[in-house]
Amino acid sequence: MRRALALALLVIGLAVPAAAGARPVVGGGFEGSRGSGASAPSHLDRRTARAGAPSHLDRRTAKSGWSETKTLSRKFVQADGSTYSFPSHTVTVTADETTNLRGRQRILIRWKGAQPSGGRASNPYGENGLNQEYPVVVMQCRGVDDLSLPAKKQLRPETCWTASVVQRSQITRSEGEASWTHDLAAAPEDKGRITGLDPFPTAEECPAADISPYFTKLTPFATAKGETFVACDADHMPPEAAVDAAFPPAEIAAFTDTDGTGSVQFEVRTDVENESLGCSDKVACSIVVIPIVGLSCDQPSTPMTISDQACRKGGRFPAGSSNFANEGVDQAASPALWWAPSNWQNRFSIPITFGLPPDTCDLLDPRPPTGFYGSELLAQAALQWAPAYCLNKQRFKFQLNQMPDIAGWNLMENGGGVAAEVSSEHPRSGTDPIGYAPTAVTGFAIGYQIDKPDNAGEYTDLRLNGRLLAKLLTQSYLGSDLGRAHPGIGDNPLAIMSDPEFIKLNPGLSPNAQEAGATVLSLSNSSDVIEQLTDYIAHDQAAMAFIHGKKDPWGMVVNPKYKNIDVPRADWPMLDTYVPETQNTCRQDNPAVYFSQLAAPVSTMRDIADALLDSWPNVQTRCEKDLGTGLYKLGRIDRQSYGSRFMLGIVSLGDADRYGLRAAALEAKPGTYVEPDSRSLAAAVQLADQRKKYHPFALDQGDVRRSGAAYPGTMVVYTAARLQNLAKDDAAKVAQFIRISTTEGQKTGSGNGELPGGFLPITRTGPTAKLFDAAQETADAIEAQHTTGPAPTDGPDAGGSDGGSVAPPPGVPDEEEPSTEPVPSAAPSAPPTAVSMPATEPVGSELAGGLLPLLILLGAVGCVAATALRVAAPVVRRRG
Amino acid sequence: MTVTLEKPAGRPRSLRRPQLPGARPGRRQADRRPRPAPRPAGPPSSTDTAASVLSTSFTMIAIVCLWMAAQLLFLGSISQQRAQDLLYGELRTDLAGATAPVGPVVPVGDPIALLTIPSLGIEQVVVEGTASGDLLAGPGHRRDTVLPGQVGTSVVYGRAASYGAPFADLPDLHAGDEIEVTGAQGVATYTVLGVRRAGDPLPQPVVEGGGRLTLVTAEGAGRLGAIAPESVVYVDADTTKAYPAPPGRPSVVPDSEKAMAADAGALPLLALCLALLLALTLGVVAARQRWSTALVWVVASPLAIALSWASTDVVMRLLPNLI
Repeated sequence: MRRALALALLVIGLAVPAAAGARPVVGGGFEGSRGSGASAPSHLDRRTARAGAPSHLDRRTAKSGWSETKTLSRKFVQADGSTYSFPSHTVTVTADETTNLRGRQRILIRWKGAQPSGGRASNPYGENGLNQEYPVVVMQCRGVDDLSLPAKKQLRPETCWTASVVQRSQITRSEGEASWTHDLAAAPEDKGRITGLDPFPTAEECPAADISPYFTKLTPFATAKGETFVACDADHMPPEAAVDAAFPPAEIAAFTDTDGTGSVQFEVRTDVENESLGCSDKVACSIVVIPIVGLSCDQPSTPMTISDQACRKGGRFPAGSSNFANEGVDQAASPALWWAPSNWQNRFSIPITFGLPPDTCDLLDPRPPTGFYGSELLAQAALQWAPAYCLNKQRFKFQLNQMPDIAGWNLMENGGGVAAEVSSEHPRSGTDPIGYAPTAVTGFAIGYQIDKPDNAGEYTDLRLNGRLLAKLLTQSYLGSDLGRAHPGIGDNPLAIMSDPEFIKLNPGLSPNAQEAGATVLSLSNSSDVIEQLTDYIAHDQAAMAFIHGKKDPWGMVVNPKYKNIDVPRADWPMLDTYVPETQNTCRQDNPAVYFSQLAAPVSTMRDIADALLDSWPNVQTRCEKDLGTGLYKLGRIDRQSYGSRFMLGIVSLGDADRYGLRAAALEAKPGTYVEPDSRSLAAAVQLADQRKKYHPFALDQGDVRRSGAAYPGTMVVYTAARLQNLAKDDAAKVAQFIRISTTEGQKTGSGNGELPGGFLPITRTGPTAKLFDAAQETADAIEAQHTTGPAPTDGPDAGGSDGGSVAPPPGVPDEEEPSTEPVPSAAPSAPPTAVSMPATEPVGSELAGGLLPLLILLGAVGCVAATALRVAAPVVRRRG
Repeated sequence: MTVTLEKPAGRPRSLRRPQLPGARPGRRQADRRPRPAPRPAGPPSSTDTAASVLSTSFTMIAIVCLWMAAQLLFLGSISQQRAQDLLYGELRTDLAGATAPVGPVVPVGDPIALLTIPSLGIEQVVVEGTASGDLLAGPGHRRDTVLPGQVGTSVVYGRAASYGAPFADLPDLHAGDEIEVTGAQGVATYTVLGVRRAGDPLPQPVVEGGGRLTLVTAEGAGRLGAIAPESVVYVDADTTKAYPAPPGRPSVVPDSEKAMAADAGALPLLALCLALLLALTLGVVAARQRWSTALVWVVASPLAIALSWASTDVVMRLLPNLI
């Protein structure tokens, strides 16, 4: 008895720590790996350490990262000529990626040791970030800080981009707002009343600039082409700085926490997005980080003038406070004077280089491209791979044409394209066998952009499960009060943020419903991504019960239009037909299906990534009256304002990594949430298995739900090509592509031909070894184009069987093989001389032969026997 | 209103009824078998019971077998001819309206072409699909081949002995005979290359731009050959002028659509048919308690015939498709 008790205690003692160890989110382990491999210092708080972490696979921090430390301090020259120094700040700035950047790529910039900021603005971007104190200004400038270079390639405030004039020029300021005139580091000629440009613009050009006794300081902008915009008002700014420009401002006055740390995901722009700034692979640029520590001031006059006092101000907001009302701040500590020499000398300039533009191959290689058609998942990899082909004359000119997987597949099957890029098995419609070669391991993510309430920064730990995704996809959230009258679901939550299930999973977010929270921005056309996502839902019992009409524990029901919808499926239909009845004139003039306006799916995942980058949901419910015609029209709602952003969208892991989008952790094993990272992708690859040679690897979501370590959105992109009847040179190209992309193309990096982030490298060893082997095998088969090669679906065991004696495969199909049939792309047909043909195989069935005679015989026997019995029975009885 | 008034009047009659049929069968049995009647009352002897059970069983076997043979050979022809009439009308409309199918994927069971063999007097509408059930209506086109009349090899299956036996005389064709196919794209005239049996070499590959039609059926040997088709026989015919075939047809067909294959998918349906027959039997037994025998006969026989017919059609799907 005592021994049993001791044993039980021992078991419990072992089990409890084990369970506790298994408890944390799997993605959490990624921080550790990141921390050790990267220069992410362990004393950064959890939020910042995680900020860039989700979805960043194998970041090349060690290789292309950048770090610098400087000591900054603010100095006042006192009236008696002595110098007073404020305590100095030793600031370290790091950037995770600086080479081969692409347009709109976001790079993570972190700093520590900076002066804590005060008066935090809800939107720190562009001119909205001006009313803050002691922020860190991050901006993109043309040129680099290298004194050995000619002046044209040097970095100057004039080459730094700002999206508005107030960020660069101080125009007609009163003396109390002219603190820059007492900047200690400024040259004497910059301390005048009107400065910044010599000769100063005339009154005709800039009527507001020179009004005595007001002070003006211009910081003109010099474009890449040599043009100068004087920046004295909005009319004298580069075209990209126009109001409502295509891209929202990227420069930011970022907030430093009270412990001196901060981070920002800074979006870089190339000459494609911003021609005036003009950064490209040929024009070197920098990211300039200026931690504002306050102006240093020169010797004041006695008594101090108002501007002397203004220069010496130290801020009116306490560190860590917010400035919701956008009140004015002390100019000396504000980001508006970033160009002032004492601020400018504190800059960290991070040199960045850009990768080749997407059209490089079109410009530099006159050869006709060989098109591969299909999956968008491969887009970011193809962007880096393509130049490695077209710039090498030994190779062919590779081009990825993105389209729905099935469209690419069909093109490949009917000869319109040499190969398709797909990520699941597709049914064959032609006669040629198809080989699938694993080319890249990546996947999809539920990208999000969510702000924590009370200006507390971005939310970085989103967790979602199958049922929440099912609720979003089935349009079961109401969106707004307009949805209340929807038959059958009037009591459902308005949006996911007010759903108790979501709140329980992601505590601490604002429960105020927004229309954008009722939907996840998805794809309108068929895609393997949607198939995998819905397959994930199909393997979630709770989600399926919900779809089949069972209420969730909080009483939410599925939209009746989507009840019992078939999953998995490759395209997600818009089934709802509910048109709200309202008094709103605009809606009465434009009756539309409300839930479809909320969902408004788009055709590419890149569009979704852009929408997330701009936090601009594709919800089409904005009503506007066109003043010209007096008509109402519906359109896309405004960009979400900072501090209350909430948007979800389906993105590819490649895009998520490139643009620094956050990816939600998805539920794998009940209660375990897995983020996409190299480990969880590898775990999923380990679960996938190949059913047949040349076939794709199938990832069973049931296995994923049991493993608890594999990311459910993992997808392998295959290069699929015909194993027969592909022209020889095309076959050689496809084989070459498979071989190069699975060897050289799997080296992670940002250079040409390398594998970008968001992909798990396929290697000779390790969990991806089986993919590597399958790829080589398929490449050989594609190159060989065996005419009598393996016909994977019509083996010798395919003969019919009816329980009887049905024969071996009929001889007929043999002669129907396409080899004897003139296919347009096939080689010249059979020569006119007689060919020795195989013999017809015997096919027969004893059942078929014996059936009718047997029936008749049995019938006759039955008749005779019955009659005989009838006749004989009385006779027998009588005798008896 | 009237109904409620009549009801009370009818009730006594219906109350009395159960007694009558109870008496009647007894009397009828007595009438029919006068010999056992005079025998002294008592439990029937074991020989009696055995003889009666045996006799009934043999009768049932005879009825089932003969019914089936009759349906395969005679009744089936009626339904097949009717199906052909309907298909012919449908195809005619389709051709006139230019909506006849050209492939690559045609719904199973749709008419696709008219097959005429003047030397044998065959004129049949070819339907899509070669499963046993599809061939009940007429010759069927194998779905992984081009349509008859198109460039490439087209394969058409037909029954040899049952359900109208459209291809029964196929082995009588000789090289040089003509086969005419009228499809959506026009008329194609094929010339027979010969009859091919197991062991014969396959014909030479089709010349480029030409078409081949392979008719497939079965034949038997010996005296009962006509009703015992056990081995598959092919007739190949070539044409030099064929119409272009659209790409994208399926590369394989299910096992049930290959030569001499059966469609096991019909089993559930068969179970349903047999259950209905059983229900009918029980219904007859119950009805005989209430109604006169003549009435039961009148009501039950059409039902029984219809159900048997339907059940046999289902059974046919479970049998090899070229019979």
